[in-house]
Amino acid sequence: MNAIETKQLKKSYGEVPIVKGIDLIVEQGEIFGFLGRNGAGKSTFINMLTDIIQPSSGAYTLLGVKSPNDQVKKRIGVMPDYSTFYGSLTAMEHLKFLSALSGKPVAKARCMEVLQLVGLESHAHKKTEKFSFGMKKKLGIAQAIVHEPELIFLDEPTSGVDAESVIHIHKLLIQLHKSGKTIFMTSHNLDEVEKICTRIAIMQEGQIVKIGTMDELRNFYRSTITVKIKHSPVPKSEQVKLQQWLESVGTDLEMKDPYVTINVDNEKKIADMIRAFNQCNIDIFRVEVEEPSLEEIFLDE
Amino acid sequence: MYVIGKREFISLFKGIKSIMIIVIFIVTAYYSAKFSNLFMSMMELTAREGEHIHTFGLLALLLLFGQLFVMGLSHDSINRETHERTIRFLVTRTSRTSIIFGKFFGIWLFWLICLTISFLITSIFAQKIDIVIFSQTMSLLTYYIALTILLSVLISKPGITMFLGIVIGLAFPIFGLWVSSTSNVWVSWMKFIIPYYYLFENDYTYWLIILLAGIMLVIANIIFKRREY
Repeated sequence: MNAIETKQLKKSYGEVPIVKGIDLIVEQGEIFGFLGRNGAGKSTFINMLTDIIQPSSGAYTLLGVKSPNDQVKKRIGVMPDYSTFYGSLTAMEHLKFLSALSGKPVAKARCMEVLQLVGLESHAHKKTEKFSFGMKKKLGIAQAIVHEPELIFLDEPTSGVDAESVIHIHKLLIQLHKSGKTIFMTSHNLDEVEKICTRIAIMQEGQIVKIGTMDELRNFYRSTITVKIKHSPVPKSEQVKLQQWLESVGTDLEMKDPYVTINVDNEKKIADMIRAFNQCNIDIFRVEVEEPSLEEIFLDE
Repeated sequence: MYVIGKREFISLFKGIKSIMIIVIFIVTAYYSAKFSNLFMSMMELTAREGEHIHTFGLLALLLLFGQLFVMGLSHDSINRETHERTIRFLVTRTSRTSIIFGKFFGIWLFWLICLTISFLITSIFAQKIDIVIFSQTMSLLTYYIALTILLSVLISKPGITMFLGIVIGLAFPIFGLWVSSTSNVWVSWMKFIIPYYYLFENDYTYWLIILLAGIMLVIANIIFKRREY
């Protein structure tokens, strides 16, 4: 079953289109990263899926149910992009109230467990009006997962959070993923998306311009792999033969002892090269493969 | 709906404004009932009016200041949530209809308890509780609450509803009582959408006030469902 399926989902304000007809499928168990510059339409898209705003046209299903649907809301958790809490309530009171609102009231012990997961256990009984921005972010995540939803929407979960807490949150998201939850998150943090997301979509001007796994995106954006091999000296008798062979498997060959640098078009050729070096009685000390990072892909795009 | 109502109900009991209004209610109920004989001697009343003189002070308080009290406490019940975007936590978890009716239910329950306590106090002196008068008074409060929720949905800024709360709270009874008694054809039709006209009838026409409140809530719900947050 698909966790999310959208068909030509559009949103316009007056004559201005913000989201221009998105067809997307997110399968259950994925951590799906939604990437895009400011104003690309990421939050508008997530807000349509979570019933904060209504689509201008198109349709979507969540967990196989045509939405918006009030019953399916009980099975999802949402951390909106801009989270202000009830200043007079404590973190614990928020979790108790919001879990009850989702139809799954939880005990204090579960609230404490979730606050511990996000690193707010020592602030459980503090009123949220005294919370810092980062603490509010963490509480935003806590309230989205407290009722154990199957599908979790997180809009910029780590923006404005300190480095240590970011690591903490990443671990938590990986843990949730392992327990079978589907996570749909938007982010500006390319490293974060690259590190934890199983699939990624890049959004630009209201449209998804590329979607796939990190490997698929890399393959799409760079057809050549740069390989740098550190090796023992090449025997004189093998030098010409090796150079000719290397020129036949790749391009931009550069041979400067103890390094060979070459561009190849697929990974299999790396294995072929290692075999060729061994046959020439050359030891290989190191193989470095340069691939495009998400940052490069994002900037290229 | 129940969860939203419960939270609204509990939050109404917190804060100095609520305590002051509860005290005003209780003090009015107590002293107006205690000195009801004094009113009897000051005014010419019918037999039925005389029979219910103990609740006179409470009814006068609600007719003149009821809207002001309800708006004073709940003018921002919806728009505070939309203004501060806490509404996003609610709309992503439950239906918008549950939010509107939950808020209404919580506020209504608060006033039901305030009114019940006040009537119990008057019953000490009157030795009885008139269910019809109690129901009429509660229907009036129901109307006030529905109007407050409608305004809170229509107007997105809490600062404006606070200002309107004072203006409407003071002007509504004056205007309402005037249109209920005037023969001016241009405005007299308005008596049918204002509760006072139905309160002057000593029968069950007060149910129409509840119907009007229901219509306002349905309108509030339709508008709220179309809104984006």
